[in-house]
Amino acid sequence: MDILKLENVGYRYKDANLNDYVLSDINYSFSLGKCYAIKGKSGSGKSTLLSLISGLERPSKGKIYYNNKDLGKIDLDKFRNTNIGIIFQSFNLLPHLNAIENIILSMDISGIKVKNKKEYAIKLLKDVGLTKDHGERRILRLSGGEQQRVAIARSLSYNPDIIIADEPTGNLDEETENEIIEIFKDLAHNQNKCVIIVTHSNNVAHKVDVVLELEKENKSIKKSKRI
Amino acid sequence: MYIFKNALISIWRNKGRNILIGVIILVITIASTVSLSILNASNKLISSYEEKNEIIGSITMNRESLMQNFDPNDREQGKENLKEQFSNIEEITVDNIKNYADSNYVKSYYYIESLGLNSSNIEKATSESINDRKGPMMENQESQAAFTLTGYSSIESMKEFIEGSYKITEGEISTDFTSNNCIINKELATLNDLSVGDKIVLVNPNNTLLTYEFTITGIFEDNSDVNAPSMDMFSNSVNNIITNTTALEKIYNDDTTLRNQITPTFILKNKAAISKFEKELQDKGLSEYLTLTTNLNQVESSIESISNVKTFAITFLVITLIIGSIVLFVINMINIRERKYEIGVLRTIGMKKSLVATKFVIELLIVSLASLILGTISGSLISVPTANKLLENEINSSKQNIDEINKNFGGNMMDKPDIPKDFNIEDNNFKKGTIQKIDKINAVVDIKVILELLIIGIVLTLISSLAAVITIQRFSPLTILKERG
Repeated sequence: MDILKLENVGYRYKDANLNDYVLSDINYSFSLGKCYAIKGKSGSGKSTLLSLISGLERPSKGKIYYNNKDLGKIDLDKFRNTNIGIIFQSFNLLPHLNAIENIILSMDISGIKVKNKKEYAIKLLKDVGLTKDHGERRILRLSGGEQQRVAIARSLSYNPDIIIADEPTGNLDEETENEIIEIFKDLAHNQNKCVIIVTHSNNVAHKVDVVLELEKENKSIKKSKRI
Repeated sequence: MYIFKNALISIWRNKGRNILIGVIILVITIASTVSLSILNASNKLISSYEEKNEIIGSITMNRESLMQNFDPNDREQGKENLKEQFSNIEEITVDNIKNYADSNYVKSYYYIESLGLNSSNIEKATSESINDRKGPMMENQESQAAFTLTGYSSIESMKEFIEGSYKITEGEISTDFTSNNCIINKELATLNDLSVGDKIVLVNPNNTLLTYEFTITGIFEDNSDVNAPSMDMFSNSVNNIITNTTALEKIYNDDTTLRNQITPTFILKNKAAISKFEKELQDKGLSEYLTLTTNLNQVESSIESISNVKTFAITFLVITLIIGSIVLFVINMINIRERKYEIGVLRTIGMKKSLVATKFVIELLIVSLASLILGTISGSLISVPTANKLLENEINSSKQNIDEINKNFGGNMMDKPDIPKDFNIEDNNFKKGTIQKIDKINAVVDIKVILELLIIGIVLTLISSLAAVITIQRFSPLTILKERG
């Protein structure tokens, strides 16, 4: 089932020339239950595409539909705290909070109704391979891989349909990278999420269901692999 | 609720930053508490002082107006003109006083009348007639009269007794203000072997057939001139027989050729009423050679020291708030720049701009509130000694001024009869009808000060929160996170 649809999406920076688009005429539909990788050279617009999909930026032209609803017409804050989970290369966790508090804060922002938020946060941490002890540690006392798992748990805390990850394994060793990819695949295949990963890593690209290549020259997207 | 909870966690986990902000707000609050409590106490003292020291007006000769027609090139003619003008001034009657007092600007009034009389059964205290109540219109008083009969319209009008210069030593002042009762000086009583209950007979100096019997209800002692250097063996009031205006007017009505000296006193409602009442008196026909004289200068000079402290408190408060606001704004600006990453993360995970701003404002409000409470307690503890220290300096400076003035006059001006003798900087109790200097502020932090502080605290917090709100509105979460990356 298509959950996210890009229709002639284009983007140019506000201070750029009129026809100087970073992305142009991107058309693609993302489905639930699949794990996607977006590849491309530096400057091809991977992160820009990700920020458009996640509602952090609005496209300069074209439309993005979530569940057939135009993102331009919905509350993007609500979209980000309910329908989409975002994971960054640098984790973007709040360092003055511990792992459990980071997850609970995310639940609070989304307004999700959970009976015992702390218990639920601990369960989410366990799902990504962490313990309660990890959860009670301050963020800066966790390793990079552990922090990334916390970020994944946080993005799952309000049960979104789409998970977007920007270079999620960029700061991690190969073993940890494989573990994280397995988590993403599990989310797509067993929990029916649409997982979109922006990556440079061939290892990641080999393990996902669909690889999309962003071409710097013609600023378009090309499907390169499908299982 | 979660915003509040997270704000508390954020404050607790970023103690250093919040202690710095708290200390700044604490200092501002202490300074503001001290200023506000001094201001509050000053205002209370001034209004209480103005309430207790009423604006008292009396009608006196307008010498300036009289002298306008004096020609310095022809002094003899000038003197003649002055005499003529003086004799043409209509005397104020009781009806005039009642008419003047029927005014919206007058709270109450009283008057004193006096007549020169002789006696058939008592002797005056000296061989010369001494009339101690020499007002502006006393010059033509009958020279042959041995005694001055003074009539008071009410207890309120008996200032000498209220202020303590006259004191009853035997008997009492009758509250019957219609009968022929009187009180006499202790010296006169001793000289004539009189006591309470005795009767004295007063005689019209123009017509010895007109006699009046008065019963002595009390004997008084005159302490008014104990400090004044004098070679007289008797006090000034020795031949002054005190009665009520009703009894006095009966004598006057029998012979209106007697010179009845009337001194009215009007208690005005407030300072603002002075000029309006003056205008009203003119409209009611008061002679241009008579004018309204008030104790306004005395009242105002007495609150000068407290007014200076009040001005200082206002200036200090304004400077504190301006500098405090700027410092807080700058510190918050730096603080927000340091927390841009946090703003970026919160915005990325879907927290609305308004909620992010609210979180920052709540954090600042909590820190401000804690500092406000601490500052108010500390400020109230140090405001009393600070205020009194400030006033002490003012009083010392005021004392030095008085000493300087005394030196200019070549003596102690404070002993002059027209200067209040009860000027006592050690005693801050107000006595009715007297003008006293204020020497002590009891600076208090009451509900008014707390409310003012609360308003100041909220305004300061909002001003310094502006930094956060503006930053949050301006920054895009992606830009913030990219910068960090």
